[in-house]
Amino acid sequence: MIHAATQPFKDWIEEQLNFLGGIVYLIRDCLREGFTKPFYWKLLIEQIYQIGFRSFPLVLVTSGAIGMVMSLQFGFGLEKFGGKPYVPRLVASTIFREIGPMFTSLMLAARVGAGMASEIGSMVVTQQIDAIKALGTSPIKKIVLPRIIACLIILPLLAAMANVIGNIGGWLVGVSELGIDPQFYYRRVLDTANIKDYMAGFGKTFFFALFIAVPSCYFGLSVKNGTQEVGMATRKAVVTSSLLILIGDFFLAKVFWILEKWL
Amino acid sequence: MAIIDVKNFRKAFGSKQVHENVSFYVKKGECLGLVGGSGSGKSVILRSLIGLEKADAGSILINDEEITHYSEQAWLELRKKVAYAFQGGALFDSMSVFQNLSYPLIEHTNLTRTEINHKITSQLNDFGLAGTENLYPNELSGGMQKRVGLARAMMLEPEIILYDEPTAGLDPFNTKKIQELILNLKTKGVTSILVTHDMPTALAVCDKFAFLKDKVIKEQGTIEQLKNQSGKSSLIHQFIEGSIL
Repeated sequence: MIHAATQPFKDWIEEQLNFLGGIVYLIRDCLREGFTKPFYWKLLIEQIYQIGFRSFPLVLVTSGAIGMVMSLQFGFGLEKFGGKPYVPRLVASTIFREIGPMFTSLMLAARVGAGMASEIGSMVVTQQIDAIKALGTSPIKKIVLPRIIACLIILPLLAAMANVIGNIGGWLVGVSELGIDPQFYYRRVLDTANIKDYMAGFGKTFFFALFIAVPSCYFGLSVKNGTQEVGMATRKAVVTSSLLILIGDFFLAKVFWILEKWL
Repeated sequence: MAIIDVKNFRKAFGSKQVHENVSFYVKKGECLGLVGGSGSGKSVILRSLIGLEKADAGSILINDEEITHYSEQAWLELRKKVAYAFQGGALFDSMSVFQNLSYPLIEHTNLTRTEINHKITSQLNDFGLAGTENLYPNELSGGMQKRVGLARAMMLEPEIILYDEPTAGLDPFNTKKIQELILNLKTKGVTSILVTHDMPTALAVCDKFAFLKDKVIKEQGTIEQLKNQSGKSSLIHQFIEGSIL
């Protein structure tokens, strides 16, 4: 009776330990193979195109919309207290510190993380990963590393673009809906948002890139039987990446606050 | 001299024991037919010979070298000499036939673009696939996919080739084609192991047989030896007749 009741919990613990162990092994393999020849630059460029360039429209729309909504909400909320002049500062620093990097990462986790897990999972099912090995090459070098490195390169760039576009969205609504002077809004953003705000958000994107790429590749490679597992791997990749980003964001925010105090 | 020598090979998946003390050997230039019922673990043995599965115990010698304790780097080197022809071809679906065939050459040789083109054209002709260079795997029939997979496996001219059900699901024409290709490779001195349920093909190309049943090799030898040993009671014979699994 007790055994039956605790079994799901035991299974869950086992699954989490398998995940942690698998991630550690994957990172170890990546570190071991990442610094030895051959390097597949062409595959890296392909992934940068797939992950970066093709995600740009999504990031453009979401970051612009979020900037607009934030400006509107802050504007209406602060209007009662005569706080409208603070809207540019609030919108800018929130976007730089949190919203820009986090929403870009969440969008990428959904689009790219799902894509990676399903693509790699399908390659496992159709024995293409085995074929890479059987032909004397390494799936870590061919499949995993280009995706992880591409994410590490692209996510900070996309987040930087999201910051700019989010602020443009905020400016548009600030000017058109809240009646803030365009020059004033622009100057307030430049005067009040500082490099620390920007770096706090930018620094996090490297961690978020790992939170997306590593679990997604792991779940893809963990597929064993059939297409049903590909679907499960895709779902797990998106959920895990998103949770890691959201929970990791809290701890990273704390770390960056501490670092800022030191510097 | 045995090129492949498997001794007391054991393998389990979780609590399911698949092999117990499996032993066999293949001499240079020979083709061994590894036969047995579905789920008897024939493919697991093949996969273990190139490190796609790890043996739990026992010894696997290839060219007198123990491979069960190989590092991943050592496996990569071995796989240049030991080719694996996958059941479904396992072609890279994002690559054309040409790109699939050029993959091992680009990875492991210093051939020029012209030499690679020449080698692939010649390989495609040998495998009856001329004109398919620019097609993608989803544009090929099952038989053609298998032949492309076989052609890709042979690009580096390996010493050993492992065939995993190369004729499964093929029509008689394509089966005949694959048989001819295997026989042609045999004449070039390639050592091979053929896993199959297709006994006419096995009888046409294999020099000897190993019959896998109940986790062990029950019988092995040439077809004549097996017939002489036990006549109609031979497991191989019964397997051919379809009276056992």
